[in-house]
Amino acid sequence: MFNLIFKDILIQKKVFLFYIATLVIYLLVDISPILIVVVYSLTFINTALSYDEKDNANILLNSLPYTRKEIVSSRYVGVLIFTSLFIMLTYGGRFLLYGKEASFSWKAILLIMGLVMVAISFMLPVFYKFKRQYLVFFAGALVGIYLLMKNLLVPNLNNALRELTQKFLTLQETQMYFLAIFTIVILYIGSWLLSIRIYERKAF
Amino acid sequence: MYILYIECIHNIFREISRNTDLFYLFVYFAKETDAQGNAYIIVYGGWMMENVIELQNIHKSFKGFQVKDFSINVKKGYVTGFIGGNGAGKSTTIKLIMNLLQQDSGTVSLFGMKYKGHEKEIKERIGFVYDENVFYENVTLKDMKKIIKPAYKNWDDKIFHYYVEKFELPLNKNMKNFSKGMKMKASLAIALAHHAELIIMDEPTAGLDPIFRRELLNILHELMQDGEKTIFFSTHITTDLDRIADYITFIHNGEHIFTKEFYKIEEEYAIVKGKLDLLDKETEQEFISIRKTNVGFEALTADKNRVANIFGDFVIMEKPTLEDIMYYTKKGW
Repeated sequence: MFNLIFKDILIQKKVFLFYIATLVIYLLVDISPILIVVVYSLTFINTALSYDEKDNANILLNSLPYTRKEIVSSRYVGVLIFTSLFIMLTYGGRFLLYGKEASFSWKAILLIMGLVMVAISFMLPVFYKFKRQYLVFFAGALVGIYLLMKNLLVPNLNNALRELTQKFLTLQETQMYFLAIFTIVILYIGSWLLSIRIYERKAF
Repeated sequence: MYILYIECIHNIFREISRNTDLFYLFVYFAKETDAQGNAYIIVYGGWMMENVIELQNIHKSFKGFQVKDFSINVKKGYVTGFIGGNGAGKSTTIKLIMNLLQQDSGTVSLFGMKYKGHEKEIKERIGFVYDENVFYENVTLKDMKKIIKPAYKNWDDKIFHYYVEKFELPLNKNMKNFSKGMKMKASLAIALAHHAELIIMDEPTAGLDPIFRRELLNILHELMQDGEKTIFFSTHITTDLDRIADYITFIHNGEHIFTKEFYKIEEEYAIVKGKLDLLDKETEQEFISIRKTNVGFEALTADKNRVANIFGDFVIMEKPTLEDIMYYTKKGW
């Protein structure tokens, strides 16, 4: 299964330099590392999915001695590995640039993992069920909903989100963390099983 | 006593061969006498002709197309040419064999195993060459090898490089710059590098120039020398099969028409040419289909000897090509 995860890196190895170069720029401008890691991880995974879709990779992978379960599972495990990789790159980069002043908290890591996992939990089943282009529709619809909410319901949604993030990062009750972690893990595993089910019935 | 014992073994063998349809049994009895003059019987027995691929009573329906009660067997150690027109169901069959598609009912087994629970074991032993590109386009062949190699337990780098050199494939060029023939050769090099026992090819010669096609056929011919490999080869360029196929499986409209040894087709089928007045309701029954023109008729029969008896010297009989058989079968359906 790790061969399949390694494959995603191998395919994008030429783009990796580009990732690192832009990462350095963002770090210099001092954009929130949480945002950077989330966006980079999702971009990386999205690119991997697009390569798989464009090049008939499903036919290739399913003709090799892999089970469909392994192919789907490698994605879900891969997401966690790639996100960890970007966390290390970003925080490592920050440490190099700013030395000990660079903030580092476990809570931030948790937040990043949580956000990526929630996003992926919704993305992958849609990707396996439909085509990747539907993901774009879904993303578009989400932005639409976001804007609508911002205009109609909560005018200062951006600030509210920022506050929510801050609140999460300063939250003291460990119980709340466990609850959040538990919910996200359940969601992720549920999505994982759903994707396997969808993919096993798929025809290529 | 001996006789009973032998009967018993014989029945067991027969049951196995009937139920699994996997083996053709041959049993040979011999009567011997030992030094003391006691007679006894020796049984020599064995299994012959293993089927590598077996599809049984497959049903699969799509929008506007279906495969009905479809069964085929592919024999070990031979090249089977798989023919049929566009949309006859060749690609569907290959996808069923590769488990890229699941049947609605019926069973698919490879090497005597079903996909459920044996997917990896089966695919370890299959090499595949597809009509469409399945490689990542922005990746070099070298990296493609790095992606594929760890999937197989018995990958042999030496063999891979031997064929890469033999086929003159560039290792450091992106796959998107490969021509169709080069991609086909790359697939073949990969299939050979993991010691595939069964090579499944979907239209490997379509879109290749004649020189390339001949080269491919020579390579396949070489591969078949050790008798261990099996090739299942779909095509609609039927002349390719003249050179290498041992068996021909012909499908039409999602139905299996026949699987025959190549030489038997020539023995059984014939193109019959004659005058129109020979045809009436009864004699027309003898043919799969008939093409009538102003000067006479041309028809295909699946029973050459019978037609020879009926019409005698009034007709001319010719050897049919596979194309003739495909053409007339399609017409007569």
